[in-house]
Amino acid sequence: MSYDAIVIGAGANGLVTAHYLARAGKRVVVVEQHAAADLSADIGWVPPAVIRDLRLTQLRLEQPDPWLTVPLPDGGTLELSRDIAKSAEAIRRISPADAAKWPEFSARMHTLAGVLERLYLAPPPDIETRDPRELARIGGLGLYVRRLGKQTVIDLARILPMSIAELLDDWFEHDALKGALGALGVWHVKQGPRAGGTAFNFLHHHVGSPVGVFRPLRSNITNALADLKAVEIRRGNRATVLASNGKASGVVLEKTGETILAPLVISSADPRSTLEPVAIELDPEFAWAVRNIKARGVVARGTLTLDRAPSYHNLCIAPSLDYLERAYDDAKYGQDSAVPYVEVQRTDGNRLELHVQYIGTKGHAELPARVARALNVRPDQLQLQPAEQSLYHGEITLDQILFMRPVPGWSRYRTPIEGLYLCGSGTHPGGGIPGGAGRNAAREIV
Amino acid sequence: MAGAKRYDVIVIGGGHNGLVTAAYLARAKKSVLVLEKRPRVGGAAVTEEIFPGFKFSMFSYVVSLLRPEIIRDLDLPRHGLHILPLESTVTPMENGDYLAAWSDHDETRRELYRHSPRDAEAYDEYGRLMHFMAQAVKPILSMVPPDPTSFAPGDLAALLKLGRHFRGLGAERLHALVKLMTMSSADFLDEWFETDVLKATKSASGIIGTFLGPRSPGTAYVLLHHYMGELDGVFRAWGFAKGGTGAVSEAIASAARGFGAEIRCDAGVSKVLVKGGKATGVVLENGDELAAGTVVSSLDPRRSFLQLLESSDLPDEFVADIKRFKFRGSSGKVNIALDSLPVFTCMPDGGPGGRLHRGAVSISPSLEYVERAYDEAKYGEFSRRPYMDIVFPSMIDPGMAPPGKHVMSIFVQYAPYHLNGGWTDAKREAFGDAVVDTVEGFAPGFKSKILHRQVITPLDIERITGLSEGNIFAGELALHQLFFLRPAAGWAKFATPVRGYYQAGSGTHPGGGIMGASGRLAAMRILKDGT
Repeated sequence: MSYDAIVIGAGANGLVTAHYLARAGKRVVVVEQHAAADLSADIGWVPPAVIRDLRLTQLRLEQPDPWLTVPLPDGGTLELSRDIAKSAEAIRRISPADAAKWPEFSARMHTLAGVLERLYLAPPPDIETRDPRELARIGGLGLYVRRLGKQTVIDLARILPMSIAELLDDWFEHDALKGALGALGVWHVKQGPRAGGTAFNFLHHHVGSPVGVFRPLRSNITNALADLKAVEIRRGNRATVLASNGKASGVVLEKTGETILAPLVISSADPRSTLEPVAIELDPEFAWAVRNIKARGVVARGTLTLDRAPSYHNLCIAPSLDYLERAYDDAKYGQDSAVPYVEVQRTDGNRLELHVQYIGTKGHAELPARVARALNVRPDQLQLQPAEQSLYHGEITLDQILFMRPVPGWSRYRTPIEGLYLCGSGTHPGGGIPGGAGRNAAREIV
Repeated sequence: MAGAKRYDVIVIGGGHNGLVTAAYLARAKKSVLVLEKRPRVGGAAVTEEIFPGFKFSMFSYVVSLLRPEIIRDLDLPRHGLHILPLESTVTPMENGDYLAAWSDHDETRRELYRHSPRDAEAYDEYGRLMHFMAQAVKPILSMVPPDPTSFAPGDLAALLKLGRHFRGLGAERLHALVKLMTMSSADFLDEWFETDVLKATKSASGIIGTFLGPRSPGTAYVLLHHYMGELDGVFRAWGFAKGGTGAVSEAIASAARGFGAEIRCDAGVSKVLVKGGKATGVVLENGDELAAGTVVSSLDPRRSFLQLLESSDLPDEFVADIKRFKFRGSSGKVNIALDSLPVFTCMPDGGPGGRLHRGAVSISPSLEYVERAYDEAKYGEFSRRPYMDIVFPSMIDPGMAPPGKHVMSIFVQYAPYHLNGGWTDAKREAFGDAVVDTVEGFAPGFKSKILHRQVITPLDIERITGLSEGNIFAGELALHQLFFLRPAAGWAKFATPVRGYYQAGSGTHPGGGIMGASGRLAAMRILKDGT
């Protein structure tokens, strides 16, 4: 059997690329290293165009309401809901001043996330271009932003490079609220809330959410895609890119040694592990840039088992910005957080998923006990998978976004190897937007 | 002393920027009066004989970025400006070794080779890139920031020009610029080097004056500053003014007077007079009123707008922006009179010709050391083992100390302005002890050589110089407080919402260091507007 294209990785991005290519009439095979499909929910906004184009009728999108439950020091909880007035009412009990600012804060952040949304639905602007069409697109983007008003232009310039701590300190006073919001700003980055660029990361994770909801959607997009029949998926075998003379020719499967040939190879795996085996084909500058991708893992994901269903949908243990910052301090020196930031997310199947930050690089023996303490459960109720490589294949930091992602100057999903493309979350727009990179990449290829 | 005389321009504050503004305006035949609160001009660039016979550059202690066009336009060498080069930097390590950067490039490379052949190789390429980047950024320092929210033809043209300038750099360098603007110095240096002490010492230059650590994004940009002064060939990157930094201020003051400006010390301003939305003069602390067509404040934004004006003089939005402008002083200074030079374990003889003491000694033995110093400050404590930049000015300018004795200047970070429980005399001395004890660790016997010591906290800096929260840059040099956002969006072109009232201090673009660029650009703006 011969193929036009091989896609490495059966995650959301890989499958989206595969299906777009299949739709364009290509014979596609997807190779996936894991034997079983991943049960955990996909986290993040699914671009509506993907749902429409691929007719994902089996797709379930979830955004629980209230979207966050925050334990308070006095024993009560703060519940943040989709309804702005309801959230404001809940916040009023801990801080009337913060409650008064909630609607405007929500609106301003939503406008800014809207700008990102527009940027994310297409390949990043090519700032070196001399192509009149691309220049017109960049000009159109500039015009669009300026039409949103003076305040938005200033907010973009001022807020994007800021730290989430500074942003939240500008608006709010209550530690519990700032901790709960600030946590989203440090998702999947080896930075604390005082680090510049974490306000951007906060907005990145707000893209696609309703006004006033600062936790991403969850969905079953990977499984919904895997159920589609148009594309063959071969599981349980890790694939390595084959290339010679600057040209990709296919992949070789690790376990069986089998070679699959195709003129197009598209990898949704992380850029570094994709390109390492073919490093000899790369020029030193490019190889240097790939080596320098910051993809430090800081998150342990996992599951929690409780005797009965909890009363919350999404529980956040990050009582203050300082709490998050101290959790980060440990990771800076290679240790797991002594007192980690923990979030419990209940999916509709009553499965409890964990997001734990930060993990270090020097072993994780103590981590279950620490997470259990934070949640007031027994360590044997937890299953944790610390990921020492970024689950986003590259942190969302200002030097690794847009035309700098995955490496500067190579943001159009191509690589220096002819026929080899990237389509994973290591490329624009990055992690937390399942299918976003996959769709952009497929459109570039087709 | 009520003067009936009406000046064209009154400049509030006789720091280096205020003096530069005054000099340029006087040069253009305006009648100019500078009002300085302290008994001497200079602000944070002053030389004082703190202990009999021992003179110190009390706050700012090195000169590197003073704009060459200012030196030229104001003919500062004729007014006594003489820069003595600071040749080297030695970083003592915890294991008794050291890392040195000497004035001779080949020697530095050999020294680096001793630590890591790979880094010695990378060093030249890194240097080339940074030289180029510094050159690419320099025109921006002399440019009035365009307002990206404005549709005025002038702003659009300037934005377009800026866009072209950056595109003209070429892709590779543009990418390097984006990285420098957004990364932490530690991450940026990690891409180039493996020697920890090298990265620590280089990244230390990225944290000076900021409330950030070497792993905080936004610190890489300051690495460039080190390469800016070197390019002009006027003088080396880092140097001392003969007679201390006060001599820089004195030279600019002398130039200003030469052009006819009047400078009055012991004349603090309590208020700017505003009538019908226009500045008409100032009220001195002694109650005297002075009239002027134009009033310029070289104080920091908080003082210029929230203290000298009534909030009713300003739009609410602008007041909110200025209130949000961040200062957060993070550094202190310890000035020491020495009986004799300290002996550092890593280089007991001080190197050939005693060159260790003729350059800087950087206490930055590892990235973790500097980062941990920052961690303490984050939670409101001063660093028990701080980062320090030490110089011995009397080794280069013997007039600073009595014969055979020495002065030692220690720049210390971190000392947060907002210390837990607040600064007290006891805390100040505890901070001084931490500094001295840390130096003692690298130079045993140092303590016994101390004749006098002066410890300056950020609170002291604020009280003495007026710099809010003791921030040495008159406002943090953070990405969101630079260029058209310094000090506030829409008001980064030296004018203010009050007609006839201008700003000229380091709290405006480009700000920071003894550069004088803000003062010069403000003067240009005032002349362009006509007074």
